Amino acid sequence: MYTNDKKSPGTPILAVNTQATSPAAAREVRDRRRAFLLLTPGVLWMLLFMLLPLGMVIYVSFWTQTTFAVKPDLTTASWEQFLSSATYLSAIGTTLRVWVIVLLATLIVGYPVALFIGLFVKNRTLQTALLVACVIPFWTSFLIRVIAWRPMLGTEGAINIILMKLGIISDPLSFLLFSEFSVIVGMTQIYCVFMVGPITFMIARIDESVIEAARDLGASFGTIFRRIVLPLSLPGVIVGTIFVSVMVLGEFATAASLSGRKVNLLGNIIVSQVGSLKWAFAAVAGVVLTVIITVVIALALRVVDLRKEM
Amino acid sequence: MEVRLLRPVLMLYTALFLLFLYGPIIILAILSFQSQSGGPQFPIQEWSVYWYRHLLGLAETSRVSQLPVGESLVRSLVLAFMTTVVSVTLGTMSAEAFRTRFKGAGPIFYLIILGMMVPGVLVGLGVALLANFLDIGRAWWSTSFVLHVVYTFPFAFLVMLAIFNRFDRSVEEASLSLGVSPAKTFRRVTFPLIFPGVLSAMLFSFTLSYDEFSRTLFTAGADLTLPLSIYGTFSVEIYPNVFAFGVLTTLFSFTLLAIYGLLMKRFTARSKSRFAGQEET
Repeated sequence: MYTNDKKSPGTPILAVNTQATSPAAAREVRDRRRAFLLLTPGVLWMLLFMLLPLGMVIYVSFWTQTTFAVKPDLTTASWEQFLSSATYLSAIGTTLRVWVIVLLATLIVGYPVALFIGLFVKNRTLQTALLVACVIPFWTSFLIRVIAWRPMLGTEGAINIILMKLGIISDPLSFLLFSEFSVIVGMTQIYCVFMVGPITFMIARIDESVIEAARDLGASFGTIFRRIVLPLSLPGVIVGTIFVSVMVLGEFATAASLSGRKVNLLGNIIVSQVGSLKWAFAAVAGVVLTVIITVVIALALRVVDLRKEM
Repeated sequence: MEVRLLRPVLMLYTALFLLFLYGPIIILAILSFQSQSGGPQFPIQEWSVYWYRHLLGLAETSRVSQLPVGESLVRSLVLAFMTTVVSVTLGTMSAEAFRTRFKGAGPIFYLIILGMMVPGVLVGLGVALLANFLDIGRAWWSTSFVLHVVYTFPFAFLVMLAIFNRFDRSVEEASLSLGVSPAKTFRRVTFPLIFPGVLSAMLFSFTLSYDEFSRTLFTAGADLTLPLSIYGTFSVEIYPNVFAFGVLTTLFSFTLLAIYGLLMKRFTARSKSRFAGQEET
């Protein structure tokens, strides 16, 4: 079986290169060339259809805006108008405020759930089943999940009806729908999955014997949580934060359908400007959004190396 | 001691969380069976499937216009299929490349991952601007399609990367050096190992593209995809026909998920029995 009477099919190809270099080095060169060829289409796709368009957004933000068109004469007029307009500046403020609130809300809603699934559910099958139950809504239509909050939160919605039947309130609460509240509730529900997933993953990976050892040495649950579970779950929190942040910062659909036009995020500014063919203003808002997201991701990536966690 | 109390508290919390997650869609499903005279809220006047018939164009004409789902559904399915084929191919190729060490692996990794990170409204705007600049018409099968791949290719890539990381390259090499042809090696060794990954990557790509909305908004041109025609109804008053549509599209997603689960189960069962057979001989 182990005799060398059968040459491996790769040998004749290698023989060409072996005159100057060793077979191992030649193989490395060949492998690298192969990797390069395999990567080229994907990298080209991303450069042409992602980075180039993003560069285009920056470029157009310096174009001249006329009533219905943009001309490639470079100017900073759109920037000046954007940065001196109270509407646009308050959109930046709203975007940041909604982002921070939703981020905290997904963490508060998600962390205990992740803790339960990752640490307290020992049965693997049950653990998977619970995770799947959390992930399933991710596979249903995003817009439908947004719109599903309307019959829930409206003045004649399910929550108001239940509260009134229980006698807790006499008049329907009107702040529930078409307000910042409904936008935050909707976003929290839609995006908390991205917080629960990574944190559960990290907690479930903790070696059981480490916790047992701590318990044997007399550590209380508080100490175990603070000294073992929390630090080891932190990469999950960061990954979840990155996911939730980029999605919330680029949001506009939830605000558009649940706020009754009261909440204007940067994404909504972009959509309405494109709607009125103000491409240069839309581009300025886009660049501002890009800067904010880049800063957020850069800060998060300083804490954790995404590639190592995968 | 505290743990004993913590456990039921966390269990209750998780139950409430699941209610929070599923509550709205359950309410929506109940309201989709509202009668013709009822509005998109409680109470249910009378249980009926009127809005489902309305959605499918079977109901007699009414003051509520029919949702324009027919053609846009076909477009969305074709687009999702195209996206799946291209992004799974690109994802597998790139992940295969990442099995060898090379310079610049870090930046290229982040370049690919950026595709799922960058907000749809931003790249959508960028592609629309670029198309205008180059005087290319925008359409769902061109400008929207390339963006959908930008979005789903990273998912396929990550799934395939996880699969490739897990399997040992020497298995393939062993097969090759035992004189098995490369084609047969791929069919008997490589493919069975990566098949679960390919299936997951397909599921991700298809469902993400089928449901993708923000990347399509500025790039689809005149012909709308399914999410776009749904979004169009948001600005006007909503009727239970949107709810009925929501139920049907959710069922469709679950069907895909079930098919995926069945294929996965059959596959793992088969490979297990095969390995068991090998051990016996």
